[in-house]
Amino acid sequence: MSDSDKPIHLLLEELPTTSMTTRLLHLLDYVVPGQWQNITNFEQMVKQVTGEEDQSLIQQVGERAIMLYNDPNNGYQKAVWIYQMLDDTGGMAGLAALADKLSSSFNFSKFLDDVTPKADSVQAVDAVVKLVGELCAFCYSNGMPGDSVGDFAAAFANAEKEDAMRVAAFLAFDCVLPLGPDFLEKLTSGIASLTDDTLSGNGRFSKIVSYLPSVDLFGAKELIVNNFNATKDVLARFAAQHGIDQGSVFGRVQGILGNADQKLDYVAAGIDLVSNHFEHTGIQSVARRVISRAYGEI
Amino acid sequence: MPNFQMVRRVVRSGLLALLLAVSACSKEPSRWDQAATATLPAPAAPKVEGAKLNSFFLADGTDGYSRVFTQEKPGFVEAKLKKDGQEVATLTISDASSDEAVKAKYASAADKVESQPLVTVGKNQSAVLVNNKFQLKVSSQSLDAEARKALLAKFDINGLAKL
Repeated sequence: MSDSDKPIHLLLEELPTTSMTTRLLHLLDYVVPGQWQNITNFEQMVKQVTGEEDQSLIQQVGERAIMLYNDPNNGYQKAVWIYQMLDDTGGMAGLAALADKLSSSFNFSKFLDDVTPKADSVQAVDAVVKLVGELCAFCYSNGMPGDSVGDFAAAFANAEKEDAMRVAAFLAFDCVLPLGPDFLEKLTSGIASLTDDTLSGNGRFSKIVSYLPSVDLFGAKELIVNNFNATKDVLARFAAQHGIDQGSVFGRVQGILGNADQKLDYVAAGIDLVSNHFEHTGIQSVARRVISRAYGEI
Repeated sequence: MPNFQMVRRVVRSGLLALLLAVSACSKEPSRWDQAATATLPAPAAPKVEGAKLNSFFLADGTDGYSRVFTQEKPGFVEAKLKKDGQEVATLTISDASSDEAVKAKYASAADKVESQPLVTVGKNQSAVLVNNKFQLKVSSQSLDAEARKALLAKFDINGLAKL
């Protein structure tokens, strides 16, 4: 059984209770206070979503949620695959992730010796690709809620719990930390300079494209530009309202690294390789979504 | 660095083998095993398009609540009801036409909203079955059954009954 074929309760219960990813996410609690708990038990997630205690009701809701997820036509599986791909860096990162899962004392500072920071332009394209992935996963998992673009933007802007943490982690670790306070301008110029060649050379993006209905690489730039324009104001507001700035994020990351000598761009590149923040919170989001739907349908 | 590459490969395959061995030995039976490979039976008729259900929800701004749509799938729409940014309730409409098990619980309903049967589910849910077809629910960890019933009455139940 490959990872993507697993039922949602197993995906959730196989998430680490402590890892480099969870340590990085916990340090963002100041950005979205109390929104994220690291729930890695399916029954606990059912109880949290429903507030119910009756075991037969919990069983009924949980089983229906698992069955809803199992049907590929419902889109939830595709959302999880996309979240997994967004964190999939292969090679080096594969080893790091494995080390991360096996040991809570993973030596991040030593790991950084082998890391090469990315140029701003490359980082900007990477961040935009992740944003597109997030929006696609959102649509697979939630559909297109409401009747207008305004309803859709409201749904996205209303991110809570794991969704809020994922947006915070994306802004902190993929945008603000590596690119600085003018990250939106850098993303905008990154998009302007995109060519089909750059996109087809981006491993993450070419994988995601294969999951999009009727989109090929030729239509990809348009998709990116539209997605980015629809959400950049939401992102800017989120970063400003929640006080995500380069200094505060870097200071906190150094706190868990225990080494103040590391350079910012190395730390940002290292986080990109070892952190599975999309996959980790994405699986939790999708679990919450199917449970909520099951509770509404039973 | 060829040496590093080799060490990496060896370490990785060794660790993977270890992980596989550990996971193969430690698979305990779970309460979810039965559902793990199952899907819901296909409905007798296609479920109504989710977008057609949106207009029957209670209106945004009702009693000072904001209403945000959060999920829309064939035969299912969900919205959150919020006050001052805090979630107060989850509202759902689902197409239950071919789900007999879901509809069975209304057979013993003692209460009604707009002449449609009303039941409570667990301790946090109130539900109405409209025209033996659509299920409306208000779920809340803070509102009691009376408050949930009052919210259900603000859905366009008569409109939904004609769909």
